[in-house]
Amino acid sequence: MMEEMDRTETVLDVVAEVSGRNRSEVTLEQDLVADLEIDSPKALQLLVQIEEKLEIEIPDEAAARFEKVRDLVEFVT
Amino acid sequence: MPSPRPDFPGLPDTLPALLERAARAFPARTVTILDGRGRKEESYSFAQLHERATTAARHWAGAGLRAGDPVVVALPTSIDWCDAWLGAACAGGLPVATAPPGGFGGGDAQARKIEELRTQLDTRWAVVTPTLRPQLPDEPGLFTPDELARADAATPDKPNGELAFLQLTSGSTGRPRAVMITHAGAIHNPHAIDTAIGIPHGAPTHAWADSVVTWLPLYHDMGLVGCFLFSLYCGHDLVIMPPTVFLARPHLWLERITSRPGVLTPAPNFGYQYCVERITKGEFDLSSWRAAMTGAEMIRPETVAAFDERYGPTGFAHEAWRPCYGLAEGTLAVTFDTRGGVRTDDDGFVCVGAPVVDTEVRCAEDGAIEARGPGICAGYYRDEDATRATLRDGWLRTGDIGTMRDGELFITGRTKDVLILRGHNVMPHELEWEAESVTGGGGAARSAAFTVDGGAEGEQAVIVAESNEPSEELAREIKSRVGRALGILLADVRFVRRGRIPRTTSGKVQRSQVKRLYETGEL
Repeated sequence: MMEEMDRTETVLDVVAEVSGRNRSEVTLEQDLVADLEIDSPKALQLLVQIEEKLEIEIPDEAAARFEKVRDLVEFVT
Repeated sequence: MPSPRPDFPGLPDTLPALLERAARAFPARTVTILDGRGRKEESYSFAQLHERATTAARHWAGAGLRAGDPVVVALPTSIDWCDAWLGAACAGGLPVATAPPGGFGGGDAQARKIEELRTQLDTRWAVVTPTLRPQLPDEPGLFTPDELARADAATPDKPNGELAFLQLTSGSTGRPRAVMITHAGAIHNPHAIDTAIGIPHGAPTHAWADSVVTWLPLYHDMGLVGCFLFSLYCGHDLVIMPPTVFLARPHLWLERITSRPGVLTPAPNFGYQYCVERITKGEFDLSSWRAAMTGAEMIRPETVAAFDERYGPTGFAHEAWRPCYGLAEGTLAVTFDTRGGVRTDDDGFVCVGAPVVDTEVRCAEDGAIEARGPGICAGYYRDEDATRATLRDGWLRTGDIGTMRDGELFITGRTKDVLILRGHNVMPHELEWEAESVTGGGGAARSAAFTVDGGAEGEQAVIVAESNEPSEELAREIKSRVGRALGILLADVRFVRRGRIPRTTSGKVQRSQVKRLYETGEL
């Protein structure tokens, strides 16, 4: 089991990679769609990568409620 | 080589009979469905598919579904979709598939869309995902797949009348339209496609191919008719993945084609372009790809060339290309280039071939393409005005522009306002409604959505909105709304003062004029 901080870092890394942003530009308060321009295929890429890296499953019902980067981080930590 | 097939049985006369025939003639053929992440898969034989649909039909009947009732199916590509859609058809209902929710958020907009659709079609029947269910009213007629499976069972109605299902398509005003597809069209079209693809090989496709591999959505005519019904008709194995899986992991499409002995697969131009641009991993052998249909949006010769160059070395043959033209109002296929390969005229327009079997095509003086034949729809459900404006003396006005040369069609443009993004038809008003809900004019502040040419990226969506208080923040909010509700990223949001968007005398926004002003920088 990874430490909580590592898991947060992993999520932020993946968010940065999928959204094509610098890691330092990604903040918890950013809106996944409006700020980071994550559309549905990118959303799936994001989920697949986080699931693989953290060895978890994120149900669609949970993913549908994610609005900000914080929501994603809170789900996995 | 593909495996041998039993004698090809005669044509069925209804959609349920098509499924029954598939189960009888090709019981061991399969539908393989990848899950929403593209990791796991499940296979069902045609015999199982038929059995499950028969069971679902009994539950629909037990719930009270009567012949002729529309049934909204808002599920992702899954066995649940097959059960609900085929089950409704086998119970005499008119299934109508619509996009399921996707991406982050967007549930509210999706719930609203389903409610609007139920009102428009005047039906209480809908099947939705468990995620969406709590956002919809607690009324009889609304089900999740599990709830449907728990409904009482009864003997279903027989199909009555000529209609088989409804296909949603973009309307030029206000709201989507539900195209009435007939049983005759639902049977004729797969047969017509089979004949058209078969011609250069001199035999129906089952003699030289045995699978269809696709990521097209089942709520899209090319996915539903061109892949799903086509496979059931021909007895091809169908491998299908949700469209988001292709968008996120496009190599899976070519990987699945690689593993099959003889493959047929359609896609819009965008799909081929996407492979060229986005696939960075995987080793493919595409020598088994017998026919690559390309249609549903303008075919770009540069995409064809780029795909040939990239995948020629992996065995993809240029002769596999089958340019075609079709639309929901024609069930699907209207013309097909049967020769294999892509031909262009001096202006770079691609030849989409001759009319499919028993079908006629003509172009009016202004280029308006019209078609007539067994695949032509019966009109729009509960919309007589639109039906009258589209069908005349059996001829369908397609809304596209082209020319016929030596019996072959070249598409040169389209007259409808439809936006085609990644091969999907999107109704401009859907984007406009979301934008206007942000600018908040209560109908006073209008907006216009259209697409601009984004080069290799394909067409990109743009919104011009009226607002007397434009700001970065407002633009960001519109992008967010549209992204959440429709899964579409806007390439640009521009503001003009209220009343500055050109309208017709009846108050309709003149989108093509806004687009021209945008492109010439005159806004």
